[in-house]
Amino acid sequence: MKKVSLAAMLAAGTVALAACGSGSSGSGSDGDIMIGSVHPLTGALAGVGALMNDGAKLAVEDVNADGGIESLDGRKLTLGEGDSKGAADTGQSEAQRLISDGAVALVGTYQSDVTANVSAVAERSRVPLVIDVAVDDSILEQGYKNTFRIQPDATSMGADGADDLIALAEANGKPVETVSYIHIEGAFGQSVFDAFKEQAESQGVQVLKEVTYPGTNFTDATTQVREAAAGNPDVIVATGYYPDQLLVAQAVKALDPDIDALYGVANGAFDDGSFPNDAGAAGENVLSANYHYGATNDEVADIRKRFEAEFGRPMETASVLSYQAVMVIAQALEEAGSDDPEDVRDAIAEIEVEDPLLAFDGPITFDETGQNENATVIVMQTKKGKVEQVFPDEFTTSEPVYPAK
Amino acid sequence: MTALTTERAPSVSSDDPRLKDRSTARTYLALVVLLAVAAVLPFVLDEQTETVAVRTLIFAIMAVGWNLMSGYGGMFSFGHAAFFGIGAYTDAYLLVEHGISPWIAMVVGASISAAAGTLIAFLCLRYRLAGAYFALATFAFAQVFLLVVQNLDFLRRTEGFNVPLLTENSWWMLQFEQGSHFYYWIPLAILGAGLLGTVAYVNSRSGQYVQAVRDDEVAAASLGINVMRVRLVAVAISCAFTSLAGAFYTQYYFFVGPEQAFGSAVSVNAIVPAVIGGIGTVFGPVVGAMVVGPLSEWIATVLREPPPFLEFLQGVTGLDVAVYAALLILIVLFMPKGIYGTLRDRFRS
Amino acid sequence: MTDTTTSPPETQPDDGKTRSGRPSLPLLPLGIVGAVVVALLLVYTVGGKDSGLVTQSIVTGLLLGGVYALVSVGLTLIFGVLGIVNFAQGAMLTLAMYLVYQMVDAGGIPVYVATLLAIPVMFLFGVLVQAALLNKLTMADNEEGPLLVTLGLSLLIVNVLLMIFGGRPKRVPSSVEGSFEVLDAIVSWERLIAFAGALLVAGALTLILRGTSFGLSIRAVSANTQGASLVGIDVRRIYAMTFGIGSACVAVAGGLMVPFLSLTPTVGEQFTILAFVIVVLGGLGSVKGAVVGGLVIGLVQTVGALYLPGTGSLILVFAVFVLVLFFRPQGIFGVKQ
Repeated sequence: MKKVSLAAMLAAGTVALAACGSGSSGSGSDGDIMIGSVHPLTGALAGVGALMNDGAKLAVEDVNADGGIESLDGRKLTLGEGDSKGAADTGQSEAQRLISDGAVALVGTYQSDVTANVSAVAERSRVPLVIDVAVDDSILEQGYKNTFRIQPDATSMGADGADDLIALAEANGKPVETVSYIHIEGAFGQSVFDAFKEQAESQGVQVLKEVTYPGTNFTDATTQVREAAAGNPDVIVATGYYPDQLLVAQAVKALDPDIDALYGVANGAFDDGSFPNDAGAAGENVLSANYHYGATNDEVADIRKRFEAEFGRPMETASVLSYQAVMVIAQALEEAGSDDPEDVRDAIAEIEVEDPLLAFDGPITFDETGQNENATVIVMQTKKGKVEQVFPDEFTTSEPVYPAK
Repeated sequence: MTALTTERAPSVSSDDPRLKDRSTARTYLALVVLLAVAAVLPFVLDEQTETVAVRTLIFAIMAVGWNLMSGYGGMFSFGHAAFFGIGAYTDAYLLVEHGISPWIAMVVGASISAAAGTLIAFLCLRYRLAGAYFALATFAFAQVFLLVVQNLDFLRRTEGFNVPLLTENSWWMLQFEQGSHFYYWIPLAILGAGLLGTVAYVNSRSGQYVQAVRDDEVAAASLGINVMRVRLVAVAISCAFTSLAGAFYTQYYFFVGPEQAFGSAVSVNAIVPAVIGGIGTVFGPVVGAMVVGPLSEWIATVLREPPPFLEFLQGVTGLDVAVYAALLILIVLFMPKGIYGTLRDRFRS
Repeated sequence: MTDTTTSPPETQPDDGKTRSGRPSLPLLPLGIVGAVVVALLLVYTVGGKDSGLVTQSIVTGLLLGGVYALVSVGLTLIFGVLGIVNFAQGAMLTLAMYLVYQMVDAGGIPVYVATLLAIPVMFLFGVLVQAALLNKLTMADNEEGPLLVTLGLSLLIVNVLLMIFGGRPKRVPSSVEGSFEVLDAIVSWERLIAFAGALLVAGALTLILRGTSFGLSIRAVSANTQGASLVGIDVRRIYAMTFGIGSACVAVAGGLMVPFLSLTPTVGEQFTILAFVIVVLGGLGSVKGAVVGGLVIGLVQTVGALYLPGTGSLILVFAVFVLVLFFRPQGIFGVKQ
């Protein structure tokens, strides 16, 4: 009989554990409208995840301080914070939790694989997801109606990066004829490279070498840089994440090849706020084509100042994008005059956000796949220990140094 | 209760054949009660808790699979991600590229997984790897699987597979509207089958033999047991069953990439519930999964609105995994037989 | 619970000499070195790559191998003497790196001085871990228990570091920046110092193991635990000290790597599995083996990357690992029982 009683205990345990989890739900019946945020707050990407979560938080505070959603009688926003832990399945269940808690829209998630999961949840629940950061082209190739992306995708960043490089070099009297490319393995690096190559070659620039490196167990870039430099290219182009691209910059400095510039495209390091300090001399004059907050925009400067005052850390571009994503949803709520997720979705699809906080070509509007049509990259350069915007002209905070030696 | 004397000394367990009739019948009864209780849970759980319950079931299926090979078979696998991944990717590939039903993909995936597992285990056993060496070898194989998938075009390298969404429920395509209870009942049925299968297997001749081999290989061999064969049978069942968890994962989460399928964290997810619950017991992996599955959710819930004395922890990241890790260490140290194993022994004495 | 029937080949942390005092044949180690040299020559002559590039990849590979060796010498002791599959080796490395970072960042101590200061701290940490968490399991000959405890420890360290420092990459300002050229290849000073550190640590460890009575005790415990305990050696103490030394090695590794790696709570993880590959390749408990193994794996990874870019070279590393496990589980310098 004891066995059976043990089984009964197990059953009781199941119920008890289940009960533990069920206490938290219930939607914002106090009238607040919930926006769900899913970012990696733990795990290897926790640093940037926390910044993005804080960016979304600040946006919610700003909307509320400004009187809430006027078309809904000034109802306030509230942020439901989800932690994807950097894992796709956790991201999905967090998204589901937020939706069942009453979120009218989601923002997230930084990683492409997590975003793929969360966008499936959004589609099935008919709740709009506004992607702040997540780069893979494939996310918007599923035919989902509820997924929107503010940042440029991998392909457009590669192509725009090529255009900008060619134009920048031309404008400075030192046209590019050949480049070599170093990129991280995987869908992200590959699609940026493929688009760059196609665009560059269509304009007569030759891509001499494609050198790839693995995302793990990569602690020295000297060989890769040397291989890229072997054909004497005019420019070395690089795509990857922070730690690995920092190694690339350092290896370029050490090897000192005869190139006009080290040029990042969708590069996680070269325009990051900590790059100039971490890279030291190796960072000086490094160019980077990436989406970036509009450093010439006064509103952005104000937001970033308040962010740093409130959270004690500088507000990186990813964090500004999270802020922007919440603002897109807030405007959609305003225009829809409804907190029904499907109405919000329709409003986002038709939205036109003037004066985006990012250095984009124009207002934020989404095409039928959900991609922001005016998302683009600008060129930045590290000068005297500071990341400056140097190209195109309407965004410049400082003149470019080119050749960037 | 199990005070009967036995000749074979080291482990007197309820699995002893002479106790088979009564003990086994009780185990079956307990299982049926457990499953029946679990089956009505969706009616009392809210949607969010149900997603946690589904994740718990996936953990449990993996752990039950792992337990067959490593608990009963005594071959410590640190690479069960390989078999979970084969299940997940077979399902994703056949469904996305060829529109084949997940049910068929499960059978195919289980077969491939069993074959791969048997081959790996055969090589490891053939070269007499055991204990830590066996664990490291299986780990290496799982890593190789991960790296190879990342380099194969037809498996979409690092991009992963998205399961196409259907507009209506389909049993054949194993897709239901979000929040459907079938997403809970299907893995529960798989788990139930696995648990009943485990009881049947450990009481079968082959299952008895593999435990005898685990306890004393030389003695077992001298009694004429074909050591290699009984071990490979355990491995094959274990790997095939684990792959089902992978296939269901793909169906439930709608996306699978190399890290989700073959990452080393997946291997850890198969081991930890079994260890916490109790290795080499029928119920241990389930008990362990019931602790591990909801744990991080529960901690996250507490921290979302922390009681006053825990307020300093709000906004701190990493706490839930730290607690999970500490729990793992404590259980290995102080309850070496796991929660269920230790409780069972206490009830017996 | 999962009694194993065949035990892994036991070895002792005494290079070159077997239990009977007969020097082991150096044929295999020489053969390996020869094979590596021949392979490199082939790469030069018929590899179809620019020779400067090949030289660079060899130099980079050797320097990288030095880093790997640093992490592995600690592990080879822990794995070889205690038989513990220490999955926390990488996390302990990270812990040491953050320790050094904290001293440099908050205390303004130069990085290499901070490294020296980190050694006793990490030694104590290792002793405590073994005494409090692992001794009971090790004494009971439990193989999987320690593996699980160190797995838990690894998760614990990583996440506690995350709780304290957050996940943004951190960086220590470099103190000896710059590089020089050898045979048309670039060598960075910081990496060369790490390489020299690896040789120094290996040399010091060999001296301790061979030349001191403490080292003798470690070897005795490793060779025959019961026998050692019978002649009055406090086995638990030796175990704790051994883990402490293994952990102190990681402190050196961490300190020497901090100048050229970005610091995140997961930065050390990538070294864990490579360290196991190296330890098994070199031979359990063999300090010399860890150094040679580290260099070989470093070379395989960088020179291999010329032909198999990206993760391809890692597949090569694991292929080497599996082959060694199957065909020579005692490793290059290990002794077959």
